[in-house]
Amino acid sequence: MTIDYSKELPTVEGRLSISQIEELVAKPLDSKPDKKFFMALSISGGFLMIGAICLLLSFYYGIGLWGNNQPVGWGFDIVNFVFWVGIGHAGTLISAILFLLRQKWRTGIARFAEAMTIFAVMCAGLFPAIHTGRPWLDGYLLPYPNQHSLWVNFTSPLIWDVFAVSTYFTVSLVFWYVGLIPDFASLRDRTVSKIRKTVYSILSLGWRHSNRHWLHYEKAYLLLAGFATPLVLSVHTIVSFDFAVSILPGWHTTIFPPYFVAGAIFSGFAMVVTVLIFVRKIFDLQNIITMDHLEKMNKVILATGLMVGYAYGMEFFIAWYSGVQAEQFVFINRAFGPYAWAYWIMVSCNVIFPQLFWFRKIRRSIPLMLIIVILVNVGMWFERFVITVTSLHRDFLPSSWGYYIPTLYDVGILMGSFGLFFTLVILFTKTIPVVSISEVKAVTDGAQPSHHGGSHA
Amino acid sequence: MQHSEMNYVKKALPSNLRSIGLLLLIAGIILGLVAYFIDQPRAMFNYLISYMFLISIGVGSLFLISLEYVANADWSVPLRRVIEHLAAIIPLLFILVLPLFFSIHDLFHWSHPEAVSEDKILQGKAPYLNATFFIIRSIAAIVIWSLFYFFISRNSLKQDETKDQKLTKTNIKLSAAFIPFFAVTITVSAIDWMMSLEPHWFSTIFGVYFFAGTVVASLAAVTLFVVKLKEKEYLHPKVTNDHLFSLGALMFAFVNFWAYIAFSQYLLIWYADLPEETFWFLHRWEGSWTVFSIALIVMHFIVPYAVLLAQPAKMDMKKLKFISIWLLAAHLLDLFWLVMPNMSVHAHGYVFSWIDLVFPVFIVGFVILVFYYRANKTNLLPSGDPKLNRALDFHI
Repeated sequence: MTIDYSKELPTVEGRLSISQIEELVAKPLDSKPDKKFFMALSISGGFLMIGAICLLLSFYYGIGLWGNNQPVGWGFDIVNFVFWVGIGHAGTLISAILFLLRQKWRTGIARFAEAMTIFAVMCAGLFPAIHTGRPWLDGYLLPYPNQHSLWVNFTSPLIWDVFAVSTYFTVSLVFWYVGLIPDFASLRDRTVSKIRKTVYSILSLGWRHSNRHWLHYEKAYLLLAGFATPLVLSVHTIVSFDFAVSILPGWHTTIFPPYFVAGAIFSGFAMVVTVLIFVRKIFDLQNIITMDHLEKMNKVILATGLMVGYAYGMEFFIAWYSGVQAEQFVFINRAFGPYAWAYWIMVSCNVIFPQLFWFRKIRRSIPLMLIIVILVNVGMWFERFVITVTSLHRDFLPSSWGYYIPTLYDVGILMGSFGLFFTLVILFTKTIPVVSISEVKAVTDGAQPSHHGGSHA
Repeated sequence: MQHSEMNYVKKALPSNLRSIGLLLLIAGIILGLVAYFIDQPRAMFNYLISYMFLISIGVGSLFLISLEYVANADWSVPLRRVIEHLAAIIPLLFILVLPLFFSIHDLFHWSHPEAVSEDKILQGKAPYLNATFFIIRSIAAIVIWSLFYFFISRNSLKQDETKDQKLTKTNIKLSAAFIPFFAVTITVSAIDWMMSLEPHWFSTIFGVYFFAGTVVASLAAVTLFVVKLKEKEYLHPKVTNDHLFSLGALMFAFVNFWAYIAFSQYLLIWYADLPEETFWFLHRWEGSWTVFSIALIVMHFIVPYAVLLAQPAKMDMKKLKFISIWLLAAHLLDLFWLVMPNMSVHAHGYVFSWIDLVFPVFIVGFVILVFYYRANKTNLLPSGDPKLNRALDFHI
C-alpha cells in the first residue's frame, strides 16, 4: 500500500458532515435499549453478583477465605489492584498527554477511554479497601485530626497510594466532565423529552456554544491536560513504590517507576482496543473510530510492550551483574521455579506476541489484533501476579517457603471486578455520548482553516 | 534571498564560523594534550565526559530524527536537517573512542587483574566487565549508530533531489528498527562507560537516566542551532514561533522526565537504605561534592522548569537561547557528577584543577566544525520531503 505523506490522514472517514456526526453519536441515546443491551447487562451483572457474594462472605467470615498465606501475604487483592490501576492509565494518557502532543486522532477515542479510566480506577479502589480485612475501618486511611491522636503512617507508600489514586480519580472525573459539557449542551438542544432536557440543562451548566465559552473552555482544557499529565505518571509510579521501597529482592529495583508506568499504558491501551473493537461495530462508529486509530493504538502497544520487555531484561541482567546472591536467586526462581508457568505466560503475552504488531497487516486486522490485545491483558495481569507472588513465596529461609494457590473466593472477586467494570461500561454507552461530538466535529475536513484545504481536496 | 517550498536556494554559512570552530578545537586539543602530559588520569576522566557528551548530542539527535519519522510528525521537518547535521558526530565516534581504549586501565578499576583477584564480586562480573568484551560492545554500538545514521541521512539527502516518497517510507522503517537498538546501545554505553566506573554499584534505571539526559542535551543543542540560524535568517521564513514552541515544549517535557527518573532512582535507594546501593550517593555527598549534587538539581531541573513553564517562554528566542545553553551546561554537569567522583583524587570531595575547564572548549569547537562542514555540503532544508508543505503551514 502506498501512503501519500504530503497529506494528513483524515481523522474522520467517509466524508461525514457535521450533522451526520452528531446524529451518529447521539443515536444510541435517543433510542430505547434493545434486547442485546439487556443481555450484555445481565451477563456483566451476573459477574458482578458473583463478586458481591464472594465479597460479602469474605466480610462475614474474614479474609481467611482467600488464598493468602505465610509467606505470601499479598495475593489476588494486590494483583488485581495494580492490574486495574494500570488499565486506568490509558484514558487520561489519551485525553491529556496525546492532547498536549497535538494528536488529533485522540478525539475519536478519548471519551470512551476516559470513561474506562474512571471505571477501572473504581475497580482498583475496591481492592486496597477490602484487603485491609476490615473495610469498615478504612476511614482511618484519611488523615484527619482526631482525639485519639491517631495518624496514618505518612512515610508509607501505601498511604501515598490513597492520595495518588484519589487525586487521579478526581482529576480524571473533572477532566471527563469538562469535556462533556459542550456535548451535554448539544444533547439538551436536540432532545424533545422534558425530563431529559432538564437533566441535560443542569449538566451542561448553561453552555451556549458562544465564542467566549469556547475560549474559556479551551484554556481550561489545556490547563487540566497539563495538570493531569504528571498525575498519569505519578499514580503508577507510586504504585510501583509500594513494592520498590522495600528491600525485598524482586521488588526493590530502581527501574520500577518508569517500568510500571510503561506497563500501565501498555495494558490500558490493550483494554481500550479490546473494548473499542466491539463498540465501533455495535454503534456503527467505524468512520469515527477508524482503522487508522486502531492501528495507532497498536503501535503504542508495540512501543510500550518493548519498554516492558526492556525492563524485564534489565532486571534480569542487573540481578546477575549486582552479584547479590538473593537477587540472583529470585530471578532464577521466577523463570525456572515453581511459578515458571506464570513467568512464561507473562513473557510470551507481553513481549513475544505484541511483536506481531511490527507488521502493518496484523496491526490492521481486527481478529488478529483482538487476539493480541486480549493476550496482552492476560499477560499484564500475570505480570503483577509474578511480581507480587514469586517475590514472596520463597523467603530467605527455606523453612519459610510456600506456594500460593488462590481460592474460589479470590477468583470470584476478580470476576466481580470485571463485572463491575463492564456493567459500568455498558450503562455508560446508553447514557452519555461515547465519542466527543464537539471534538470530532473540530477535526473534520474543513473545520479548521488550512492552506491546502482538507485531506480530500 | 527568495525562499519558497519549491525552489529553495541554499545560503552558505559564514566562514568565520569555521575559524571559530577551528580555533576552539585546536585550542582544546593542545590544552588537552598538555593536560594529558601533566595529569594523565585526570585528563582521561575529563575526556570520557566529553566523549559521553558527544554521544548524547550525536546519538540523541539521531533518536530525535527517528522519532519524527516514527511519529509521522510534520512540524519538525524544516528543522530536521539541523538535527541531521548534529547527528553527523556519530561516525566520528570511531576516532574519538580510540584514546579511551588506550586508557581503560586509568579509568576502570575492574580492568586491574590484581584488583579482581582480591574481589569476589568483581570476579563474578568478569564475564561482562573485561577489556575485550568491553571494546567489542563499544565498537558494536558505534557501528550500529553509524549504519542507521548513514542510511537515514542518505535517504533524507537523496530526497532533496528525487522528491521520492518511498524514501520517507524507507526511513520510517529504518527509524522504527533503530529505536530498539538505540535503547539497548545507549543503556550498554551508560553501564559500560559510567556505571562500571564504580564496579560494585548497580541500578536498573541507570540506562533510562542517561537516556533522559541524552534527549535533553540533544534537544538543547538542536534548539540552540535552530534559534541561531533563525536569528541570522538561514531558516525558511515560515519556520515560526510555533515551531520553536514545539522545541521548547519538548525540552520542558524531557527536563521533567529527567527529574522524574533521577528522583525515582534517588528515592528508592535512599528509602531502602541498602549499603550496597547507598554508598554511591553518599560518596556524592562527601565534602564539596555536596555543592555539585545540589547544583545538579538546581541546574538540571529547578531553573529550566521555572524558565520554560510559561507558554510565551517556549517561543521567546532569547529565553530559548539562554535555556538551551544552560541545559547543555547542565548535562555536562550531570556527566561530571556521574564520572568524576570515581577518580581517586576526589575521594573526599572535589579537588579543583584547570584541566576540568579545558575539555568543554574542545567539545564546542568540535560540534561547530562538524556542523559547519556538514551544513555547507548539503541543503539546510529537506526540500524534497513530502511533509514539508504541511510543516511550513504548521500552527499550534
